[in-house]
Amino acid sequence: MSGAQAELDGSHGAYEHPAAPPLARMAIAVLALIGLLVASYLSLYKLGIIGGLTCTVGSCEQVQASPWAVLLGIPVSLWGAGAYVTLLAVAILGLQPRFVNARWVALALFGLSAVGVAFSGYLTYIEAVVIEMWCQWCVTSAVIITLIFLLSIPGLRRAR
Amino acid sequence: MPRPAPERPRRSSLTPFYAILGVVLLVGIGFLVTQATRKKNAGANAPPQAALTLTPEQLQRVKGISRGRDDAPITIYEFADFQCPHCAQYAALLEPVILERLVDTGKARYVFYEFPLGFKWSWLAARAGRCANEQGKFWDFHTLLFARQGEWAFDTDPLTRWRPLAEQAGMDGKKFEECVRSDRYLKDVTESQQLGNSLGVGGTPTLFVNGRKLDSPAITSYAAFEAEVRRIAPSAFGDSPAPAAAPAGPTAPIGQTPAPGTTAP
Repeated sequence: MSGAQAELDGSHGAYEHPAAPPLARMAIAVLALIGLLVASYLSLYKLGIIGGLTCTVGSCEQVQASPWAVLLGIPVSLWGAGAYVTLLAVAILGLQPRFVNARWVALALFGLSAVGVAFSGYLTYIEAVVIEMWCQWCVTSAVIITLIFLLSIPGLRRAR
Repeated sequence: MPRPAPERPRRSSLTPFYAILGVVLLVGIGFLVTQATRKKNAGANAPPQAALTLTPEQLQRVKGISRGRDDAPITIYEFADFQCPHCAQYAALLEPVILERLVDTGKARYVFYEFPLGFKWSWLAARAGRCANEQGKFWDFHTLLFARQGEWAFDTDPLTRWRPLAEQAGMDGKKFEECVRSDRYLKDVTESQQLGNSLGVGGTPTLFVNGRKLDSPAITSYAAFEAEVRRIAPSAFGDSPAPAAAPAGPTAPIGQTPAPGTTAP
């Protein structure tokens, strides 16, 4: 049976069937892009490029003015933007046929998003317990990174 | 001889994905650009200042904390929150210059109104300010409170931080603490905030000069502030009034006479 025939009838002979791009990884890339835009919005505010934040729920500017909005001298939102750029790049790379089953891609997405979930959890705790104010954009980012983390789990099984 | 299988047209299965990514990116960039330009145009589209003037009736209702000569030709009203970071910046950089050059020279009277925004300790700090005023030490305490804002703003018990500041300002620490723990000044602070709300104070610090609300650019530097004050009250500086063609705005309804409702420490 020719390789082309195998591709047509879906059987797996000597021909190596190219893996279909996983939908979960596409979703991760889209979510990472949305997260990047949210983090960029907060970073632009923190850097003084945008004069104020649109905040229909919570007190975004008050939360952004707190000491927890800066880590090692760099706005937390800028750290977030860096993390989302990395996640986006890895997810897009992981959609290319050559890397679809690459173990390092699955591990990188899982590991990076796990760190993100842990840090977002800490920041959400600070908002709830210490500052006692909410920032809708921070909560949005926390939800996004949690979804990315959950979507990265099936990739681990695929890469085994 | 078997005929070779027809080659299917090769089209990347990622094309729809890239299209979605592109749409999300465009929408996001559009949002960011809109946000940036909206804030820049906000000042240009602001309502005319005449709609935001203070009336003597409004000021008689609420007691502010006053400093300077009662008959000064200029009256400056500040609405502020002790826990607001922008207020702390203003208190550290611009307010001391205003007090030194305008208030201490007799040109202006300065009146402070609390406008608690809703930070964790906004209300308690506002009441603590009133307690300091009770002992005649408001202005010293207000300077210390703003200067040390980063230390107490997220403390679980800010009073333990404020009492040493009160004593540093020359107050009786025990009396101060008893006052802060009571509800003695809750009504005054509430009325002060209500006054701010009725005047359209949305953020802090907000300043009024002779009843005229200042735009944010006017409080970015002392030069900008004084230029605006000179425009509103030229006679206080010995300047001749602006010509009729100049965009001077309507005459402020108050400022030439002291507001009867204010208190002096």
